Amino acid sequence: MEIDVNGALRALPEALADPAMPLLYALRDLLGLTGTKFGCGVSSCGACTVHVDGVAVRSCVLPLAAITGKRVVTIEGLAPGGGRLHPVQQAWLDHQVPQCGYCQSGVLMAAAALLAKNRNPSDAEIDAAIGNVCRCGTYPRMRDAIRAAAN
Amino acid sequence: MRRRTLLVSGLGAAGALVLGWAALPPRDRVGGLDSLPEEAGAIGLNGWIKIADDGVVLLAMNRSEMGQGTHTALAMLVAEELDVALARVRLVPAGHDRLYGNVAMFVGNLPFHPGETEPGRQTNVARSGQWVVAKVARELGINATGGSSSVVDAWDVLRLAAATARARLVGAASIAWKLPVGELTVTEGVVGHASGAQAHYGELARMAAATPPGDVLLKPRAQWSLIGTAAPRIDLPAKVDGTARFGTDVRLPGMLFAAIRHCPMLGGSAGAVDVAPALALPGVERVVRLGPYAGSTAALAVVGQTWWHAQRGAQAIRVEWQQRPAGPLDSAAIVASLEREARAADAAGAGFTFFSRGEAPDDARSAGAVPLRQVEQLYRAPYLAHAPMEPINCTARVAGGQVEVWAPTQVPGLARDIAAQVAGVPVEAVTVHVTYLGCGFGRRLDVDFVGQAVRIAQETGGRPVQLVWSREEDIGHDFYRPAGAALLRATLGADGLPLTLAITSAGDAITPRWMERGIPYLTGPVDTPDKTASEGLYDQSYAIPYQRIRHVATKSGVPVGYWRSVGHSHNAFFSEAFIDELAHAAGQDPLAYRLAMLQGVPRHRAVLELVAERAGWPGHGEARRPLPAGRARGVALHESFGSVVAQVVEASIENGRPRVHRVVCAADVGTVVNPGIVAQQMESAVIFALSAALYGRIDIAGGVVRQSNFPNYPVVRLGESPLIETHLVPSERAPGGVGEIGTPPLAPALANALFALTGKRLRELPLQL
Repeated sequence: MEIDVNGALRALPEALADPAMPLLYALRDLLGLTGTKFGCGVSSCGACTVHVDGVAVRSCVLPLAAITGKRVVTIEGLAPGGGRLHPVQQAWLDHQVPQCGYCQSGVLMAAAALLAKNRNPSDAEIDAAIGNVCRCGTYPRMRDAIRAAAN
Repeated sequence: MRRRTLLVSGLGAAGALVLGWAALPPRDRVGGLDSLPEEAGAIGLNGWIKIADDGVVLLAMNRSEMGQGTHTALAMLVAEELDVALARVRLVPAGHDRLYGNVAMFVGNLPFHPGETEPGRQTNVARSGQWVVAKVARELGINATGGSSSVVDAWDVLRLAAATARARLVGAASIAWKLPVGELTVTEGVVGHASGAQAHYGELARMAAATPPGDVLLKPRAQWSLIGTAAPRIDLPAKVDGTARFGTDVRLPGMLFAAIRHCPMLGGSAGAVDVAPALALPGVERVVRLGPYAGSTAALAVVGQTWWHAQRGAQAIRVEWQQRPAGPLDSAAIVASLEREARAADAAGAGFTFFSRGEAPDDARSAGAVPLRQVEQLYRAPYLAHAPMEPINCTARVAGGQVEVWAPTQVPGLARDIAAQVAGVPVEAVTVHVTYLGCGFGRRLDVDFVGQAVRIAQETGGRPVQLVWSREEDIGHDFYRPAGAALLRATLGADGLPLTLAITSAGDAITPRWMERGIPYLTGPVDTPDKTASEGLYDQSYAIPYQRIRHVATKSGVPVGYWRSVGHSHNAFFSEAFIDELAHAAGQDPLAYRLAMLQGVPRHRAVLELVAERAGWPGHGEARRPLPAGRARGVALHESFGSVVAQVVEASIENGRPRVHRVVCAADVGTVVNPGIVAQQMESAVIFALSAALYGRIDIAGGVVRQSNFPNYPVVRLGESPLIETHLVPSERAPGGVGEIGTPPLAPALANALFALTGKRLRELPLQL
């Protein structure tokens, strides 16, 4: 089984790549891409958010069978490369958003997907798109950073 | 037992020791030249500071970063005194020397009233008690990140260590160039002289190690260029690109994964087990039975090639779980019993007295005057789970008589101890790597999961194994914030202010339970009173002439642990909502009422006045901040961990439920190291508290915790989060705690706002209208 991750086709070890395995564990445990996190396992917290064909998806309940032929982008592939950061990543630093940082990969992916679809989201649209859990309470800064990245 | 008796007898027992120790110089915490041996060209100048050959400063980092910014704050102290850019300080692991132990946290747990420990007004008992405990803590050298103590503990030590290192480096240049020290300057780690002579720290380090530091002076406050600034946090770049390594991100060659199923009944065990269905699944390696480790409930662990395979295996095992021998735990029954205990102790004058002031009035009635109004209420709070974002986890390898552990831990020394104990090796054979923590909140002060991981690693033929708990296992098998009940009673004088305040609270003592789990060699046969049970009640600074503040310590059997702000987390709700009740009973503005009781406590007055002004409280500039229709304000003032915080919550009711729009915070945290970090922590603590105030509850029936994951243990998300402002009172006193202090005032301030909105007084958490 192969999956397209961050612009490259990655082969998964045959013996372990189960079509029922959620994408999250293929990323973290088979491919060593640990930037995407496990937080709840029931798609409630959003720590596992990745992009599948440009859409923000919670990977902890998305089986490998469902992504054949699709392009996956993880936090490791969010930055455009060449030492530059994605605007949400830069805004996150400018506003000193993260605290423990564990939920932030998922939030950044959700925020990037939102801004890719909606150049100037309202507060209500931000609230609706960013349903992630952050136990450190960085929400006010997330909102400020998303607004800043939109501009 | 009376508090004074405890303290005096404790000190008396140590009397001989005290006399002996008084003759010895205080053991320094800077460490010597050989504390950090030379390694890869970096030269150690004391127990904390090494200089690399390119001049980079290596700081031995003993505290854990769990989002509270401690790595940055501590690095700033060192960068300031060494005159280097913050970017030129790199953190290296500190190791297990007793030098790196926490003193401030243990001193902070002494049951003194803040009035007894106030600098310049310390009582002799307080001074002696703190001195003895500081000495014991220094000797024990237990390294813990918690109690909002990292900056407090490091404040003098790290600045002195860095200043001492700087003095050696400048001294070395002075000798090499034969120029007076007074003529040398340091800019960005380069020692220079007007004559043009210059050398960077890397070039001077070897000589510096042989140069006595001479008189070391800390940099005067007026010269600070870094301390007090909102320097960007050094850990953030890795936290926006996925490269920051948490415990669950450890990846080692040949590593296996383990999932776990604890007995669903707290304190229960596994009887008959059928592992065949698990072993039949692909990717499953083996099953390991786990007894209790450092307070955990017995469990079964399944080892697999990925965590998903292991977790599937864990779900497939058929087990007959057995109930806890002492019977099933029931939270409703426990809370009801706490209420009974509080009332009974109040009636009998029983319980441990944490604070007492004034003579008992024979009759709370002045001759010929109107009978004094009495207000008595009972308050309650439930068990709470921590639910840290990163699930409970630990990676371990046991091979060739050596144990290696990777853990997001708040207590690396205790992790080492339990690893050694489980593996049956000396502690010297154990290496502990501390990763970033995806939240701590006190949960990772426990080391149950380390014991479990090491036990599993004994069964994997020397291959490393990473144990990760599911969210369900986490919420269902926590060390919970204890439930509590408190009976509060006050009599009001003619002016409406309280003349008497009597509080009897009941609830589990955390510290003796935590020590039994993590530091068993320090525990005695009898629990000593745990100050955390009464903090937030006994340590008030209101000028109430007669106070009796007592606590009945219970032992419910529910595993209990430290939860962000500990006893303050429920006691501040009890006390600050009750004070608000008194204000309303007296027909007075709740903020003015509090101000009237703040006599001789300028810090508290300044914080309360600042929040009033910034929030636009009536009488304090409300025209600048008109309150939209349908909203009300509530205020709370609370001191904890050496800092004072006041909050004004602006709330409304939406769809029958409370909605918080804004929280205005004012705080006196002493000297501010990084105002950006302080603001972050205030926001963090407020939202953490808001989740608990609106939703937090853990219900246990038949020993099983009813809540299991975020859908049924809800927390606040972006859509519900308020605007939060932080205003700091300038101060030159030594830093106070920051990480937890924003949590206690939130629930009472919100409850007080809800009362203003609805006339309904809520005396139980979570707040339900």
